[in-house]
Amino acid sequence: MKRKKSFIIAFILPCLLSLLIMYLYPVIRTVLMSFFGIESVTASVSDWTFNGVDNYIKIFGSPTFQRAMTNMLLIWLVGGIIVLCFALLFAVILTSGIRFKKFFRAAIYLPNIISAVALATMWIQYIYNQDYGLLNQLLEAVGLEGKNWLGTDMKFWAMLFAFCFGAVGYYMLIFISGIERIPADLYEAATIDGANKIQQFGSITMPLLRSIFKTNITFWSVNCITFFLWSKMFAPVSTEASTIVPVVYLYDTVFGTTGNVQRDAGAGAAIGVVLAVFVGLIYFIMNKLIKDDDLEF
Amino acid sequence: MSKKEKVVYKEKINWKKEAALLPGYLIVLIWIAFTAAFLIWILAASLSTSREIFSGAVFKFESGFHFENYANAWNSSNVSVFFMNSLLYSVVSCVAVILISAPAAYVLSRYIFLGNKPIKTSLILAMSIPEVMIIMPIYALTAQYHIRGRILLMVLYIFIRVPFTTTYLLNFFASLSRSYEEAAAIDGCTPGKTFWQIMLPLIQPAIVTVTIFNFLSVWNEFFMALIFATSTEMTPVGVGLLQIVNGMKYTGDYGGLFAAVIIVFLPTFLLYIFLSEKIIAGVTGGGVKG
Repeated sequence: MKRKKSFIIAFILPCLLSLLIMYLYPVIRTVLMSFFGIESVTASVSDWTFNGVDNYIKIFGSPTFQRAMTNMLLIWLVGGIIVLCFALLFAVILTSGIRFKKFFRAAIYLPNIISAVALATMWIQYIYNQDYGLLNQLLEAVGLEGKNWLGTDMKFWAMLFAFCFGAVGYYMLIFISGIERIPADLYEAATIDGANKIQQFGSITMPLLRSIFKTNITFWSVNCITFFLWSKMFAPVSTEASTIVPVVYLYDTVFGTTGNVQRDAGAGAAIGVVLAVFVGLIYFIMNKLIKDDDLEF
Repeated sequence: MSKKEKVVYKEKINWKKEAALLPGYLIVLIWIAFTAAFLIWILAASLSTSREIFSGAVFKFESGFHFENYANAWNSSNVSVFFMNSLLYSVVSCVAVILISAPAAYVLSRYIFLGNKPIKTSLILAMSIPEVMIIMPIYALTAQYHIRGRILLMVLYIFIRVPFTTTYLLNFFASLSRSYEEAAAIDGCTPGKTFWQIMLPLIQPAIVTVTIFNFLSVWNEFFMALIFATSTEMTPVGVGLLQIVNGMKYTGDYGGLFAAVIIVFLPTFLLYIFLSEKIIAGVTGGGVKG
């Protein structure tokens, strides 16, 4: 019995240690940090000064943070509608008995495999380029004038669209797995009863995909809350108001920006906590809102 | 069975059915054509001079194929350093995380002990905690103990993949029959030996799938690398590419930039060509983002 105990401990210990070092300790310390005035992230605990919820008041009062939150919400809402609509459309097309399904599926999912930095670089340096970019060449081919897609007014939408293009494939795969779980005899019965494809989609596919929608919306929301890479790639040197998101704001607050050496690790921690609470809320709301399947098929 | 398959194979194309699907074909084909045009242009640009790229003549190759763009990117833009670092991080973390996670997943799925349930729950919670909640204390900790260099990112990448890997493997161990262990115990095999020699080889397919996801995830990782890679010697490809882009203002070597993009994306792309079925099955089967 004792030998079995030591066997279990030996097997679980490395995993447990990594949980404690990488997750438990940092999360507790970040939560604590958010209630203290801390300038440098490397400051020792003795240099911390307790200031209650001042950090939270400071970030919620900051126009930059408000702008970042607005951008995040826009990405969530507009991007979410675009991505989920395209993902569902492709999922329905690919499960409709089309040929070369496997190839199409793999090709649409491809952008998820490529390094997002490489993907963003391709968009910025090629598609959106003002001189030789694909978009302007297409516009000129139909007689329209090219635009500076990376100017302040268009940059946000350019970033959002490029991000959505890469994201569609993942959500499509989840929709496909949901659609393929729906038994074929439901559609056969509907066809015999005289329902057309569109009616079948509205009355069979959509209701039975409820829990898949839940999964996809949850993943999309979490993805938006932790949105960072694309914003950083579209404004690599100095952060711009048009593309700022909360995680970029956190990064700048904690590590400083070029030309601004003022840092505030306490406020950074507060942003982290706010974002983590958002993630928690998303899981909670999605579980309450859409009950996990009472459906059986 | 084989006869039936032959019949299906010989079935004539039902043109009426295909015609009904035509709009579907068109939408998907336009999307894929866009993706393909995009990638082919980048490939062509990586073999052209900056002047050809700016004049929109990348497909003419008037001055021949400029393979030296790749040599330039590899040597003078430090891509070789970034590439080797990413390879090192990915390979080391993929192996180490299995050595940590597989035994843990095994005892968690097989033995009831104090803390079993809480550990399982913590693993799932850990997967949903945003990275911004953990990087600051880790940064302070590593600064305090002067941990820097490649070993730092290597260790972080191992730790960050533990919750996903353990949870993924747990379900596979749970599905194995207990008769294997019973037979081994009768033959006098110790639990440790049973695990390494009998149980671990049995879940090999799951280990392959989870390793692919770990590899892709570490290779493409950006956020932690941006914060912790403080010198060129330890920078992986993602952050390295960002540095090259930022340096473009001074070098103006667009051919080299696109060559660097191709080098960065090639390893995962090749992996995908050979393993796309397995990767796609893994995404939908697990329902978890890799």
